[in-house]
Amino acid sequence: MAQPTPTPEVRQAYVLGGNRIPFARAGGPYVRASNQDMLIAAIDGLVARFGLQGERIGEVAAGAVLKHSKDFNLTREAVLGSALSAETPAYDVQQACATGLETVVSLSNKIRLGQLESAIAGGVDSTSDAPIAVSNRLRRALLDLSRAKTTGQKLAAIAQIRPKDLAPVAPNTGEPRTHLSMGEHQALTTAQWEITQAAQDEVALASHQRLAAAYDSGFFDDLVTPFRGLTRDANLRPDSSLEKLAKLKPAFGLGLDTTATMTAGNSTPLSDGASTVLLGSADWAAAHDLVPLASIVDAEAGAVDFVHGDDGLLMAPAFAVPRLLARNGLALADFDYIEIHEAFAATVLTTLAAWESEEFGRTRLGLDGAFGTVDRDRLNVHGSSLAAGHPFAATGGRIVATISKELHRRKAASGSDAPVRALVSVCAAGGLGLTAILEAA
Amino acid sequence: MTTTVVLPEVPSLGGLYARGAGLSLARRVRSGPSVLPDVDYVVRGVRSDASRLTEYQHLLGEPASDVLPAGFVHVLAFPVATALMVRSDFPLPLVGLVHLANRVTQLRPVLLDDELDVRASATDLRAHRSGTQVDLVTEVSIDGSVAWRGVSTYLARGVFLAGAVEESSETFDPPTPTGRWKLDGDVGRRYAAVSGDRNPIHLSALSAKAFGFPRTIAHGMYTASRALADVGAGRGDAFEWAVEFVKPVLLPGTVTVRIAHDGDGYTFAGWDSRSGKPHLTGSVTPLR
Repeated sequence: MAQPTPTPEVRQAYVLGGNRIPFARAGGPYVRASNQDMLIAAIDGLVARFGLQGERIGEVAAGAVLKHSKDFNLTREAVLGSALSAETPAYDVQQACATGLETVVSLSNKIRLGQLESAIAGGVDSTSDAPIAVSNRLRRALLDLSRAKTTGQKLAAIAQIRPKDLAPVAPNTGEPRTHLSMGEHQALTTAQWEITQAAQDEVALASHQRLAAAYDSGFFDDLVTPFRGLTRDANLRPDSSLEKLAKLKPAFGLGLDTTATMTAGNSTPLSDGASTVLLGSADWAAAHDLVPLASIVDAEAGAVDFVHGDDGLLMAPAFAVPRLLARNGLALADFDYIEIHEAFAATVLTTLAAWESEEFGRTRLGLDGAFGTVDRDRLNVHGSSLAAGHPFAATGGRIVATISKELHRRKAASGSDAPVRALVSVCAAGGLGLTAILEAA
Repeated sequence: MTTTVVLPEVPSLGGLYARGAGLSLARRVRSGPSVLPDVDYVVRGVRSDASRLTEYQHLLGEPASDVLPAGFVHVLAFPVATALMVRSDFPLPLVGLVHLANRVTQLRPVLLDDELDVRASATDLRAHRSGTQVDLVTEVSIDGSVAWRGVSTYLARGVFLAGAVEESSETFDPPTPTGRWKLDGDVGRRYAAVSGDRNPIHLSALSAKAFGFPRTIAHGMYTASRALADVGAGRGDAFEWAVEFVKPVLLPGTVTVRIAHDGDGYTFAGWDSRSGKPHLTGSVTPLR
């Protein structure tokens, strides 16, 4: 009788490094660069950094939120255009703004199960080279026309077309089910939690100051490869101040009966950019003379019913993180670093407010009281999306590479065996959220 | 005793409106309403059309499943009630009737392949502060058992019955929105195409003006059906869907909406965010 297949041993999967191109503002220096161009640039920078020319990597996963239909195999095409071996397999992932982190999570799980020895996770987005679609009515008429056999059928197909159907349809950040933009959704949550503009501006200022300090200290020298003349993220404003931020006019929440607090200064701009993360097993790292920076310990996705008014669009991480930490027997205080993607400064603050709320803890999280408080000195220590910009699918890779390097640096400097941990939290369209625990290797 | 009139098929609303328009002119000279005709209108063996169903579902934001949305059953069945309303002994004029409220009880799912029997009647002619209202009751049965029941309340303005009138004193305080409907100028024409309801007030500004509206107005059942679509699968297989139409939606226009969990079911409201005035309010309550 055949033996049952043994359950594979789960082993560690490590972040070995990362590389991204500086993030640009929409319509800036990457205006003519496609998603594939930018993803190739980010992969090739990683290849150059880690000596992977011609190497067959186990698998590459990446994605883009704004994707042309011709890019059905975006990641594979980027691999074929890169310096990696053409025998490197690849697949596309799309989970809105959580795309980049999800590629890290799913590839690291394959490494943990022994299916892969090495992998590259990534993401890219261009709001400058966004796909423009034809209207549904024109598309339907053209499809009917392509199927028509007789002249009568062809004329009938063409006759469906009205002049207004010819107008192109550009993508927007509106939620498909509510037709509110992401900023309008966040404005509702911001008002619900009574977050002030001053508090949001403080988060924005800290983001700019910390990212600028990290660049000045050379922290990003081995994480960022210049592209199209950019050497730093174009959105970075080291000389920003609370006074300047306070002068900006509100951009979202204008129709509410509360004061509008969200400005262009405390919201992320539309951005272009790409990022990659090199992942591998301990054996693969050793064979390639690479030092593991951090292991990917666990991850938890969440989602909220924002459609029916239960929770704010971007609040899923407020639920996912407590589940993730409970499963791992950890509390917020056990983390040396907490990375909360700054979709808006208010997204960070509403998440923190929910965790600090006794009532939210009891009624929504099923806890005895508040979930906990985040020490601001541990939050987004090298800045986040407000300063760097947010090319949707590229943000996860930026965060994971940055915090993995920081984890390793801290552990090495401590000279102790005590675990050094980071919590990563990314909110996404559709009421989604993805969160993960990383630990210094 | 109730008379039953069996029609060979569901009549076209276009023809009924034309007929109703003629009768309404004639009826204006009459002194006032008296009694409703004691008659049921019946059409048996009604089938739905898959491509019309798909068009409807896509327009309203329903998934194109083989289950007929409750609002689609309404557009299939309601012309039978309209046929009753254009009878010469129906006391209110069809043209100019205002759809005040609608209540649908979906007892079990109606499927694309089901053969439907439709029975319509008029009931409860009663006074309203602006005129006279009446309920049109439409029942849809499958194999002899009722699957769907709709009660559509209509108002004839300026046609007064004797008797006391209940005064409405409800005020509307706009809640936190959950979404927004941005309605293009052609929404009336597009809903007319899938529903067959080509009432001129929904088709063009010119024809709407002829009936006293500044612009085209959206079909009430379009807005109510969008709210039902926004509730989504949480409504379950059996539910009650009630709506009150407060103020017409002018097209093109933007309606701020809240469609939210409320107890065991959902409540919804659509309003003008600038004036704070409501367009519609209602609820969807699962039957368990």
